[in-house]
Amino acid sequence: MQNPFDDFRNHRTREREIPLDSIIQSRDRVMSQITKGYEKLLEEEVKELVWLVQYNTVIKAYTLAEKVVKKFEYKAEDIEEFCYELDSTDKIPYLITGPAGIYISALCNYAQEEEMILKLNDLKTQINLLGYRLPVGKKVAVEGNLGDFTGIGMEGGELVVEGNAKNYTGAGMKSGRVRISKNIGLHTGEWMMGGEIFVGGRVRGLGKIVDGKIYEDDKVIYPRNYRQSNTYY
Amino acid sequence: MVPEEIIKKIWPKVRTKHLFPELPIPKVSEGRENVALEMKNKQITINAAFYDKIAHKMGVEEVVEALLDHGISHYTYCPWDFHTHLRLFREAKRVVKDKEQAKRAAGLFMDVVADTHCVKEKKTPLPELYKHIDRGKVDAVISSLYQKIWGLDLCAKEDEEVVRRLSRIPYLDKKQWDKSIQKFARVIKALLEVEEEEDRQEGNQTNPMGEHGLGGYTLEEIDQGLRNFANQNVGLKEFKETFEDFKDELKDVGYGMEGGMGRGEGTPLDADLIYYMKLAESYSIPIKKVPMEKRGFLNPHSHCPWEIGRPFQDVDVWTSFGKIMPGITQTWNKIEGSTFGERESVPDCIIIIDSSGSMTNPRKNLSYAVLGAACASDAYLRNDAKVAVYNFSDAPMGGKAILNFTAERVKIYGVLCKYFGGGTALNLNELDPLLDAAKEPDIFIITDMKITNLGKVIGYFQNINNRITAVYIGENTYALRFREAMEKKKNMSFYNVTKKEDIPKIVLGKIEEYFRGNL
Repeated sequence: MQNPFDDFRNHRTREREIPLDSIIQSRDRVMSQITKGYEKLLEEEVKELVWLVQYNTVIKAYTLAEKVVKKFEYKAEDIEEFCYELDSTDKIPYLITGPAGIYISALCNYAQEEEMILKLNDLKTQINLLGYRLPVGKKVAVEGNLGDFTGIGMEGGELVVEGNAKNYTGAGMKSGRVRISKNIGLHTGEWMMGGEIFVGGRVRGLGKIVDGKIYEDDKVIYPRNYRQSNTYY
Repeated sequence: MVPEEIIKKIWPKVRTKHLFPELPIPKVSEGRENVALEMKNKQITINAAFYDKIAHKMGVEEVVEALLDHGISHYTYCPWDFHTHLRLFREAKRVVKDKEQAKRAAGLFMDVVADTHCVKEKKTPLPELYKHIDRGKVDAVISSLYQKIWGLDLCAKEDEEVVRRLSRIPYLDKKQWDKSIQKFARVIKALLEVEEEEDRQEGNQTNPMGEHGLGGYTLEEIDQGLRNFANQNVGLKEFKETFEDFKDELKDVGYGMEGGMGRGEGTPLDADLIYYMKLAESYSIPIKKVPMEKRGFLNPHSHCPWEIGRPFQDVDVWTSFGKIMPGITQTWNKIEGSTFGERESVPDCIIIIDSSGSMTNPRKNLSYAVLGAACASDAYLRNDAKVAVYNFSDAPMGGKAILNFTAERVKIYGVLCKYFGGGTALNLNELDPLLDAAKEPDIFIITDMKITNLGKVIGYFQNINNRITAVYIGENTYALRFREAMEKKKNMSFYNVTKKEDIPKIVLGKIEEYFRGNL
């Protein structure tokens, strides 16, 4: 009787290592580091249950995030992927928009690239505080909408948003440029001390601005005095 | 032209390499020179024009082997089945939003997965083929991606940033395919938009390695794929949307046109019906069969002497020695036999379904009532019984649809899925003709019991002896009242449905101590 498996006798499975394997391994390693770093930040921040955007809280969270991300080697794609991981929340336990925004800002500030594009159009949640302390020489372009406190405390970098941003955009920024292609919310430029905000669409309301310039559709709307703080128009 | 000897020579080698897939020997056809191969009903067909164009650039056997490797990898690895195909399409569409772009994205993703799997696990001349193939903008990006992730020179250099992003996707991790195709679609979305625009201006360009239509699947595989897809926690809306996107292709391959589906030629495919049909097929509800029935004919039991006046047909000729004579002739004493006259069987069923305003609209959201009724009708049809439907809202005011006993599934589902959304009242006189049209049919009523003339309904059901299965959706005082009034009726069983998982618990026609004669 013929062995029905005779045909397989000489068959050898050929599994060769291809570059995709090492790319995926390295990506997984980096993502795991970034995720652990975020969890570490949360361990500290979640103690305070309700996370408020206060001067001290933001500084404390950023200092911690900075300490963690400094050690990592990653690229802009890793940051983008981390944003989507956060959004899907099946791998990462919590998405607290405050610490998440601070952490992502720290990642951008310490990334290897000087210029980076984050394609965030399909995020379900909007990230707050993105662009915090963006330093001189760094340019972050975001495709998609962002939340509150976009470009907060910027330190000379350039933040370009292909979409909308919410309230308190450019709050406390010292220098640099924020470019928003669409509309922007209330309290724009609150405590702003320098730099420029360019808005392609409408500015819903200005905050208490110390210094700097705000443009709406290429027209200067600050420092000209014809609009009052927090005026709805 | 591809010499047949080459195919005959290569085919055993390729089959062995792919562990003997159940595919017939490939054929050759004349077609457009920019499409390499196609697969219809498991038949791989190599395009002679494409072969002629590429054969002088690389070895003839290599061209055939590479094409077959590509086609077989789709069959054995990705998409593998129609369900995976639908899933990948749905995830791509979530990102790109456009139907055609989603199909293209899913097709490209399946190509990358199948080819990468083949290159990693088998010895294949596929990379050589990709080196020589004509490519559009998107195909060139995919070739550059192959170059990066396979680590081979394919003479491709396209959009580094896009390729870098694409190369981070774990194509060979099946568990992550849903997420992976979303990432893939997100990255190539802009390219697909440009390609679509170019197609509009320059005419349609096709995937050089063949399009991923439904022709590759058998009708049974399509049926199974839709069933799995409906059961994969996709809502009605999403199922409907995906189904509509494939509607024309499904028609082209003849899905829903064959007799087995119970649909005549030309009947439009209704996504709602298909959704409930596929879900119902997954929930098997048992039916208690009617007890066997005694047949009262007489059997010979013992002998007794024949007397004048007794019928001759009872004479036992063997023990009477051929004589008809009192005292000698013996006749048979006959008694009623204890054999059963009919086999156990399932009676026909009247399904009474409430489609009033308090019920869910089955065409907007998953309706437990329609799903329950669909499962019930499926159970009866599977047992060769027929089903009649009485769909009511405010029946006396015309809010009703009546279907006489039939075994045509599509007609039944069509009436079950009708939604009136008005008041709730039954016109009980209309049930009588249905009850008379079959031999003691079962009754299956599914409603939330918020019926205006509930008192009359209770009275009606108290006076009939048919087996009744009453299913009420949600808990309310009307249901309680109905249940209390009918509790003593032994021909009636009650079930409450609050979630989809309650439906399989229903046993149709299950009646405690059911003895027809005692009622």
